[in-house]
Amino acid sequence: MIKYGLPIFAALALTFAVIKIVHTQPVHAKLMPPAAPPSAVYANQVGAVGLVEAESENIAISLPVPGLVTRVDVQAGDRVRKGARLFSLDDRDLQAELALRQSSLALAETRLEKLAMSPRPEDLPPAEAKVRESEQLYQDTAVQLNLMESVRDKRAIRDEDLQRRRLAVKAAEARLDQAKAELALLKAGTWKPDLDIARAEVLEARRQVERVEADLSRLVVTAPIAGEILQCKVHPGEYAQAGPLAQPLILMGATARLNVRADIDEQDAWRVKSGATATGTVRGNTGDRLPLHFVRVEPYVIPKRNLTGDSTERVDTRVLQVIFALDPGARVYAGQQLDVFVDAGGQK
Amino acid sequence: MNFVAVQMLIGDRAKYLGLIFAVAFSTFLMSHQSTIFAGIMDRTTSQIKDIKDASIWVMDPKTQYFDEVKALTDDDVYRVRGVPGVEWAVPLFKGLPRAKAFDGNFRVVNMMGVDDATLVGAPRDLVLGSPEDLRKPDAVLVDRVGYEFFFPKQPYVLGRTLELNDHRVTIQGIFNSSAPFQNLPVFYARYSQALTYVGRERNLLSFVLVKAQRGLSDSEVCRRIGAATGLDAATSQEFGWQTIRYYVAHTGIPVNFGITIAIALMVGTIVAGQTFYIFTLENLKQFGALKAIGVTNWRITGMILLQALMVGAIGYSIGIAMTAAFFEITKGNLDLRGFVLFWQIAAGTGAVVLFIVMAASLMSIRRVLVLEPAVVFRG
Repeated sequence: MIKYGLPIFAALALTFAVIKIVHTQPVHAKLMPPAAPPSAVYANQVGAVGLVEAESENIAISLPVPGLVTRVDVQAGDRVRKGARLFSLDDRDLQAELALRQSSLALAETRLEKLAMSPRPEDLPPAEAKVRESEQLYQDTAVQLNLMESVRDKRAIRDEDLQRRRLAVKAAEARLDQAKAELALLKAGTWKPDLDIARAEVLEARRQVERVEADLSRLVVTAPIAGEILQCKVHPGEYAQAGPLAQPLILMGATARLNVRADIDEQDAWRVKSGATATGTVRGNTGDRLPLHFVRVEPYVIPKRNLTGDSTERVDTRVLQVIFALDPGARVYAGQQLDVFVDAGGQK
Repeated sequence: MNFVAVQMLIGDRAKYLGLIFAVAFSTFLMSHQSTIFAGIMDRTTSQIKDIKDASIWVMDPKTQYFDEVKALTDDDVYRVRGVPGVEWAVPLFKGLPRAKAFDGNFRVVNMMGVDDATLVGAPRDLVLGSPEDLRKPDAVLVDRVGYEFFFPKQPYVLGRTLELNDHRVTIQGIFNSSAPFQNLPVFYARYSQALTYVGRERNLLSFVLVKAQRGLSDSEVCRRIGAATGLDAATSQEFGWQTIRYYVAHTGIPVNFGITIAIALMVGTIVAGQTFYIFTLENLKQFGALKAIGVTNWRITGMILLQALMVGAIGYSIGIAMTAAFFEITKGNLDLRGFVLFWQIAAGTGAVVLFIVMAASLMSIRRVLVLEPAVVFRG
């Protein structure tokens, strides 16, 4: 038994061991990625991350004065022409002030008109009558004096009476002169400096109206260029802040053509030549390579903007931004990220 | 004459079995301990090997091993992409966040973040779900260890939720992972999401995974990446060995196992050698008789070696089968997964056993060679 049994048992045991060893050896087969990664395009290339933007760059619409939004005339995706109304702010107080200023203008204008029209025609006849009356009174005193002087015998009259009549003539004469002068004054109408002042007052009132109108026009925000509304984050009833905002009220741009802003690490910046061609791929669809045409290099190297958006991040690298144009009709959206390969020259 | 040798060997049944058991247990001990040691060392590289779609790892030049990483900057992915010979390069995040179940159970997990767009590195050996499910919102893939820790004795279902750094995550897949060194659960998520599961750090990019262009060797591309970016690039194998070397140099594991293996070797050699020696001494008369009838020394040496080989072969077969059976039995245990009797260990043990029996037999051969045939005729 031991003569054959043990070797046979050993042979079986060895067979078992060999089979198990063969079956359990780990296999390190290489697999293909679930989705194809963006792969090399040029022999010598610089990799970069690109952000799609409008040809005009993205414009964050701001407003000169803060206020309550009463009306929004556009929505995201609208194409607008230059000067089109985007949204309006509450203008009730300025409308009220406009009415006030307009009435002030009307008042000043009426005042000027009145001055320009003087003398009032109805004022003339009394003044003329006054002149005539004064004339008659003068005539009367003159006749009285004449009568007294025509007396030959001076003893028949008192010297005192004679003196009184002479003075009465002089007084009547003066009164006549006064009446004539008053009539002349009346006929001369308004004094020119007074008219000038009134005209200046009208002008001032008109400027006040124009100022309120200008303020009113600032409450209506219009499109600075013809383009597409990329984002509309303003709604009626909201309070809109003036100045630059983290979340723009309206983001717009000319999107007939799109550009790609490629961030190139400063350590690779020297390898990128002006005029270099590039290729971009959309994330998730690396099979579709989009040709990129060189537009320009931003001359200033800026700190890398991290897409995690953490504001406490410190800058550890700076990036050169190169702008490329996409072909019209490329199926990408503004704000989308592209994996960009820039040709750095050399043979493939 | 060989027949005589075999008869001589199995004639003394006790010594014959004693020799075989000495060899068998020596074999078992050596191969078993070596396998456990190799398995533990292999575990340190599990996460490297589990990424099967990239062959090159780019990391900080001072990186010592896989589990301790210094983050690169996000731009380094693009710098690596610009290196000639790189077919593609994608980011990989590795972190150790704490996962919490809603019943309060918590555990530190190995979180791997794979590139959002391509999912390079995502596990493929899934029990439930598919790698594409990572694209779902707040999706994580968990390995079986993780699932069974958080939901013990419960059937595998998808859609359960856990909490990671105050984020709610949904289990969208359960996969088979190679066991990590500490056997922590392994989670996979998309890169952008994995970053939010660990605390705030400025840079979070752990590795860049690279594929070499067709026609270029991995090591050549590694050299080019190193030259162009100043980062360290290693192939999966190199990085794995680098990690293993770290553990060998900085932990007591190799010393512990080394001592066991050395003792197994010594005990095997000494017991087998001693038994063989006694066996030969007891058979001196027979050898003397053989010499007396004119058998040459060469022939006798051949006979002894044949006996040794026979003992060695039988003992080795039984011993190695015991080891194979051990790992066959423990295969189903999740915590002992990844311990595999490598063919290298089996072959190496075989060589050592061959050496043991040869050495043991040769110790006694001298007595036979100097033996006077006349001894047979003395008392």
